[in-house]
Amino acid sequence: MAAKSFSNFKLGVFVLAGLAFLILSLYLIGKNKNIFGATFMVKAHFRNVQGLTSGNNVRYAGIQVGTVKKITILDNEQIEVELLIDNKMKPYIRKNANATIATDGLMGNKVVNIIPVPGNANPVVPGDILITDEVPGLDNMISTFSGTNNDLAVVVAELKRFMLRINSSSALWSVLNDSSLSRNLNVSLENIRQATARANTMVGDLDGLLLDVKNGKGSLGAILTDTAIAENLNVALMQIKHVAVEADTLAKELSQLTRSIQYDIDQGKGTVNALLKDSVMTRSIHISLDNIQQSTHRFNEVMEGLKHSFLVRGYFRKLEKKQAKEAEKDREAQ
Amino acid sequence: MFSSRYWKFFFEETGNIARFAGRLFSQWGKPRYEIAEFFRQCYIIGYKSLPLVTLTTFIMGLVLTMQIRPFLVDYGVESQLPAMVGIAIVREIGPVITALIFAGKIGSSIGAELGSMKVTEQIDAMEVSGTNPFKYLVVTRVLAATFMLPLLAILGDVVALYGAYLGVNMSGVTSFELFWAKVFKYLSFSDVLPAFVKSFFFGFAVGIVGCYKGYYSKKGTEGVGQSANSAVVLSSVLIFIIDLIAVQITDVLNLN
Repeated sequence: MAAKSFSNFKLGVFVLAGLAFLILSLYLIGKNKNIFGATFMVKAHFRNVQGLTSGNNVRYAGIQVGTVKKITILDNEQIEVELLIDNKMKPYIRKNANATIATDGLMGNKVVNIIPVPGNANPVVPGDILITDEVPGLDNMISTFSGTNNDLAVVVAELKRFMLRINSSSALWSVLNDSSLSRNLNVSLENIRQATARANTMVGDLDGLLLDVKNGKGSLGAILTDTAIAENLNVALMQIKHVAVEADTLAKELSQLTRSIQYDIDQGKGTVNALLKDSVMTRSIHISLDNIQQSTHRFNEVMEGLKHSFLVRGYFRKLEKKQAKEAEKDREAQ
Repeated sequence: MFSSRYWKFFFEETGNIARFAGRLFSQWGKPRYEIAEFFRQCYIIGYKSLPLVTLTTFIMGLVLTMQIRPFLVDYGVESQLPAMVGIAIVREIGPVITALIFAGKIGSSIGAELGSMKVTEQIDAMEVSGTNPFKYLVVTRVLAATFMLPLLAILGDVVALYGAYLGVNMSGVTSFELFWAKVFKYLSFSDVLPAFVKSFFFGFAVGIVGCYKGYYSKKGTEGVGQSANSAVVLSSVLIFIIDLIAVQITDVLNLN
């Protein structure tokens, strides 16, 4: 009997490690299958469960929340599916939620999807029967696909013709091949960008201006906002109006005057008319002017005679001598 | 193919093992209990086998993953690799590989140990000295093998899954968390529990066959070698037979 040729410690660690992993794996599986933890049960009635079996997953908005507990046939049209759902989900699943049977992936297990529906409803209580929605199965989908396929074939044929036409169009290809096009386009876009940038600045400035005006800054602002200026302007306008009225009156009076003068002229009355139209008067003026001419001629003769008279002859001689001297001086200077 | 002599031997052997097992069952509930010897055997049979089991299951997990991978890649379901490997390991590879390694190591050692004791007449001496050799030698070993193999299988599963994780990450990147989640997403109690239960039977088979072959070893050195050899062969075959029966039972019970 080999006494203590082994280590109890190592054996204990070994046994506990094995048991711990066993329990851990059982717990993890149980957690996945909702065996531990509080659950509650709701029901759903389907016409066709499409191969759903107990133990399949239940998802709420894509989150794993429980499993299918039992499937029972109610009558020839209805199958009752009992769903075990985590208690934590109770507040979130509403009475108006929709239950459908779907496939996990393309070929995976069947799952029951509980889909939340917008709108207010009370949370479910255990034993509630959820509203169900029949989702088309794979067979229906395939039959739909065949119709879609035919349509698609037509569309593809049209597309092919379209593409062939595009391919045979030399104009389009030349446009596509033109390298300068893209450059020009680039430049244009750059210009547009600059223009918009400027427009933007302009709008900004305008905005500032409008803000200034609004705040009563600048002359325009003053005009628009200063009440005193507005009043003065009003007064000025009133005066201008007044002046205009007077001018109007003046013009009217002038018009009357000219009209009366015109009338006088037409009728041969008044001074103006006499000035402009009376031939007798013009003749008498002529005679007067002739008389004046004769008078001045005669006065000239008288004055010549006077020059030769002895009384003033000496004076004239002196004048002549003085004039001769001055002429001599001018000649010497030249 | 087989002569009538062979069949006679086969049925005799089966009957003897059944009788041996019956004797075991009638003995193990009765005092006096060999508790200390039982724990010593647990240490030798369980703990000492751990490195070997760890190595083999680790390699098995890694290799299995790398072997399955190309096939899954062909089908475009590479992402299901952890789930697939996990199921294979937990349901079948873990328990069976562990049991076979266990049979090779423990079955042979029990057979050789008891055989040499028989040959050197230690068993007879034990009987004379008042110790029940069957209780002291057989019951403790069979019980230790029965209880230790499931633990080894569980630890082997864990190590194999780690190997599979490394295998998955050799040609792709999968976080340990995702791997873990994927493995456990598809595992159910019907995968873990039948595998766990059947590993008790594997352990019992290895223990009882080893003890039987050793206890009734033929005289002489040759007899010891023969008993060790036939213990390994028979227990390995029994493991597969039990596996076959276990899968039928789980199928009938609709646990698959």
